[in-house]
Amino acid sequence: MKKKVVSVLLTAAMMAGCTTAAFAGETEASTEAAESFAIPSSADFEDGYDESFDYGSGEIKIWVAENVVDFTKQVAEEYIASHSALSGYTVTVEPVGEGDAATNMITDVEAGADIYGFAQDQLARLVAAGALEEVAPENVDAIKAANDEGSVAAATVGDTLYAYPETSDNGYFLYYDKSVVTDPTSLDKILEDCEAAGKSFYMEINSGWYQPAFFFGAGCTLKYDTDTDGNFTTCTADYANENGLAAMKALIKLHQSKAFQNGSSASDATNYAAIVDGTWDAATVQEAFGDNYACAKLPTFTTDDGKAVQLGGFSGYKLMGEKPQEDDAKLAACDLLINYLTSEPVQLARYNAVQWGPSNKNAQADDAVKSNVALAALNEQMAFDIPQGQYPGDYWTLATGLGDSIIGGDYDSASDDDLMAALTDFQTTCQGYAAGVAETEAE
Amino acid sequence: MAQNTEKKYASMKGKRRASLTVTYIVLVLISIIWLLPFIGLILQSFRSFDPAVEPGQNGGMVSYIVPKTFSFDNYKFILSDQTNFPRWYLNTVIIAIFVSIGQTLNILGVSYALSKMRFKGRTLLMRFWLILGMFPGFLTMICLYFLLKQFGLTQAGAVPGLILVSIASSGMGYYVCKGYFDTIPKALDEAMMIDGASRARIFFTMTIPMSKPIIIYTALVAFMAPWCDYVFASYVAFGHDKSYNVAVGLQRWLVNADYQGYFTRFCAGGVLVAIPVTLLFMFLQKYYVEGVTGGAVKG
Amino acid sequence: MSAAAKKKNPGFFRAVGKDIAEIGTTFAHGDWRTRLSYIILGFGQLLRGQIAKGIAYLATEVLFIWYMLQVGNRYLAKFSTLGTVETTKVHRKTVYGDNSFLILLYSLLTICIIVFFIFLWRLNVRENLKEELILKSGKQLPSNKKVLASLLDGNFDKTLLTLPMIGIFLFTVLPIIFMVCIAFTNYDKTHQSPTHLFTWVGFDNFRELFATGGSGLGSTFGTVLFWTILWALAATFIDYFLGLGVAMLINKKGVRFKKLWRTILVITIAVPQIVSLLYISKLFASDGIINQTLLKWGWISKAISFWTDPVLAKVMIILINIWVGIPYMMLIATGLLMNIPPDLYESASLDGANHRQMFRYITLPYIMFVTGPFLLTQFTGNLNNFNVIFLLTQGGPLSTKLKGNAGYTDLLITWLYKMTVNDTNYRMAAVIGIMVFIVTAVISLVVYNMLPSVKDEEAFQ
Repeated sequence: MKKKVVSVLLTAAMMAGCTTAAFAGETEASTEAAESFAIPSSADFEDGYDESFDYGSGEIKIWVAENVVDFTKQVAEEYIASHSALSGYTVTVEPVGEGDAATNMITDVEAGADIYGFAQDQLARLVAAGALEEVAPENVDAIKAANDEGSVAAATVGDTLYAYPETSDNGYFLYYDKSVVTDPTSLDKILEDCEAAGKSFYMEINSGWYQPAFFFGAGCTLKYDTDTDGNFTTCTADYANENGLAAMKALIKLHQSKAFQNGSSASDATNYAAIVDGTWDAATVQEAFGDNYACAKLPTFTTDDGKAVQLGGFSGYKLMGEKPQEDDAKLAACDLLINYLTSEPVQLARYNAVQWGPSNKNAQADDAVKSNVALAALNEQMAFDIPQGQYPGDYWTLATGLGDSIIGGDYDSASDDDLMAALTDFQTTCQGYAAGVAETEAE
Repeated sequence: MAQNTEKKYASMKGKRRASLTVTYIVLVLISIIWLLPFIGLILQSFRSFDPAVEPGQNGGMVSYIVPKTFSFDNYKFILSDQTNFPRWYLNTVIIAIFVSIGQTLNILGVSYALSKMRFKGRTLLMRFWLILGMFPGFLTMICLYFLLKQFGLTQAGAVPGLILVSIASSGMGYYVCKGYFDTIPKALDEAMMIDGASRARIFFTMTIPMSKPIIIYTALVAFMAPWCDYVFASYVAFGHDKSYNVAVGLQRWLVNADYQGYFTRFCAGGVLVAIPVTLLFMFLQKYYVEGVTGGAVKG
Repeated sequence: MSAAAKKKNPGFFRAVGKDIAEIGTTFAHGDWRTRLSYIILGFGQLLRGQIAKGIAYLATEVLFIWYMLQVGNRYLAKFSTLGTVETTKVHRKTVYGDNSFLILLYSLLTICIIVFFIFLWRLNVRENLKEELILKSGKQLPSNKKVLASLLDGNFDKTLLTLPMIGIFLFTVLPIIFMVCIAFTNYDKTHQSPTHLFTWVGFDNFRELFATGGSGLGSTFGTVLFWTILWALAATFIDYFLGLGVAMLINKKGVRFKKLWRTILVITIAVPQIVSLLYISKLFASDGIINQTLLKWGWISKAISFWTDPVLAKVMIILINIWVGIPYMMLIATGLLMNIPPDLYESASLDGANHRQMFRYITLPYIMFVTGPFLLTQFTGNLNNFNVIFLLTQGGPLSTKLKGNAGYTDLLITWLYKMTVNDTNYRMAAVIGIMVFIVTAVISLVVYNMLPSVKDEEAFQ
């Protein structure tokens, strides 16, 4: 008994020792910069900064994705250091994923970040919940002029520009292994090659983001209009027709292939020879394919009557937004900082640091950006994509439901009529989301 | 007759041996099934996320279990300053220790009052708490969040906030402990009272020393819970990385798309979390069994 | 506190009537000290030398009045509307209006405090009456020292229970009352405090949950509820009997290394589920190691979608829960098996019973008898078993046939969680929470009264 107590104490002590040691190690190490990036100098950057204005003081909290935390921190600190009227502010940068950021902002605006990055599909939700401040009027025109059209549209609700475009690379295309896939333009051939090689083809067809590649490619539309408050007013949807049926059949055929795997995260994918994924996974895929690494626009699928249909999809954007402030001075300070964080030099530096494709037109024209293989493939695909507008949260769930049903084999032996019924159901439900919101508003 | 019994005995012996063999086979199979995930976890934690060490991958999922090269890269990474893992670990240890002490004191007090003392509304109180327990805990998350926020115990103050919430309502979990106190004969209390001892004295000098097993059980259960709490902890600490506990951090590594290729690092973190908790549990297993069985029988 | 205020016996109204009458007669017959105590709490006690008690009462009253003036009245006044002042913009600056959330929260707190204060006031009146009676009969009042000392002796229960009760009130009772109220408001993503107001809507949310057509959640609720109960039954009973089986296997005469087998199983309890279950969910992914290995060996030609096929996902969850649950049950059963009175077996073997018969007629009934209440708690626990479901499937797979973000493996509790965290749809989450409570309470009540150990307490004693 005694022995046991002693050993318990020992373990406890060991544990405590371990953690304190680790902790001490951390504090010691954190004096040196975690990772160094080439940070542009903001001294010559022209914006509405006014040396004589009282910007106040305090803390500016920024939320960005994990891999740009260090970068963002260094850029923001440099900006504040070279603009003396802002010296009262300290910057804290926290890693909060682009999906979580919106949810957290909505849960409690007051505790949320002053500036935060998010994917554009969250925009309407954020506006509706009152968690997003409009872009400062003096910046609007400059931003509309400097960034590509799609990204500006993505940051707009109604007629109001609510966010600052940050990247234009939130789209997807095909990565493939040259030694396995002989013809990246045809989905059937890709699957055939993968099956023959015993490798997998990944595409996340139960995601509302990837799934429309089939439907939009076949000529279907699904769009929502929002009012200025971010409420969904009307829905244009035509899934329940010949085109939708063709896309649906292609999805079913895809899921029946031995080589098919549902997924879009390269680092979680195993034994694959082709994957539909975005630029953020370029490094991972490159590692997996080595010298056989290659990118292309999405392939075509073949309909029952032998027609080849190019896959479409969404081109998406990442945005940065500001929280509504109760204090004019701090709002002015945040305006300056967010404008700089999404400006041309910073977008370019961000590309060089973590390969995020810029939305700024001048930055896009940079040689380094142009020569990127993945971005080139994405650009090629963009011609077939539609810019991603605003979709209600329920749409994503519904699309996952449809995808899960396909993967689960619900439609494997379904007749055309059954499929048409499912599509009609899908379409009316989608339309219902717009009407539903309008209804509650009318109350 | 005698021959017959002997034969029967021999056949019984054979039967017994056969049935024992079957038993062993089943037990070995069970052991394999039960251990396999842990072996996989440990092996994967030694697969480097660096493609230069382990080619063709970068810390994500792979289709093999045994890494081609063993390395400590994951452990080095999570203990370095590149993540807040050491901080999360420390937070969890702090939460676990405080919750363990606080809950034990709370439960001991409540159990004693309910078991040994008779006061007006006693059964009513127990019934009321029983009914309260039937409301699902997650229901009140948003309310608890804003309550804690009123005290400044969210985000940066999330660690004390979590401790407070865990301890505050723990009195309702008195069943096992009260059941144990009920088995201590009343006559002992009465004898001490005749000698002029106060209730408080009896509680501190007799009841508590007699209740070592149940105290260890209560403290152990309370200590283990925070290691798995990711729901409420992430809700209270959101947007403040330094206030997370290990569960929140690890869950994010595996589930959040921002963390590509963190699978092996998750495994390493998982191993570091599992080791102390498992060791502690193994040492105190006896008390755990006692508490669980006692609780089960009394209901 | 509120427990004491909420008596439910049939003579409730009569008791209240009697109480009010006593308050009246005390005032009519009491001396001036007592009468003044009706307004100034503790006044009588102070004048009669009961300093400790008097100060406690007086301090509570002062605190109460201060709270009501400072906080309480402001919020309580807006309770019926939950706020009317909208958030506005002054140029670009945001000026937040009423915060419906805080109005509701503080109003409820204030109501509880008022109820508590009335209770205390009543106590104060009775105490005055008691003191007067004692003095009238010529006896002495207890000294202050004695009163304080009783907190460690005769009133030790009050000392022990005060803090826990405050804790439970603040962090359990108040939030539950609050969320029950939320079920009758329109608090959701478009009515989010502090930017937007929310207000009372009556039974609209309940109607939405039970409505079957259009955007109603009726059929989804039915599906989820059915699976929740099916799951709880399967998880409880399969684990129970398998755990018992494993315990008997290990305890079998002649089996060696008993401790080793037990320890191996018990690791599952010790390792935090967040680690083990998340890892297992990845193992069984359609591109996980299990599928890859089976493919490599040629046992299957196409990956099995463990988590995307609704039926398969449910089966997998139940199977993996066996992995989680057997060790607990094994430990408990081991303890119980050792507790079975040996004379039961002895007399049975004298009667010529064989092993199977002994198990059938002694072991099983005994174990079932003593673990009845435990099974019930296990069952209600499984109704709300969040970890297993959420860490393995997050409630998926989803379907176009299910509404409100629910999936085929969602329990009511995981559905509630998703509504709270992903959709910030608090009003529907609150309604579902109330449903969970009703389901749990009804099942517990019905089953509890059917338990053999409740019906027939003496059977095995």
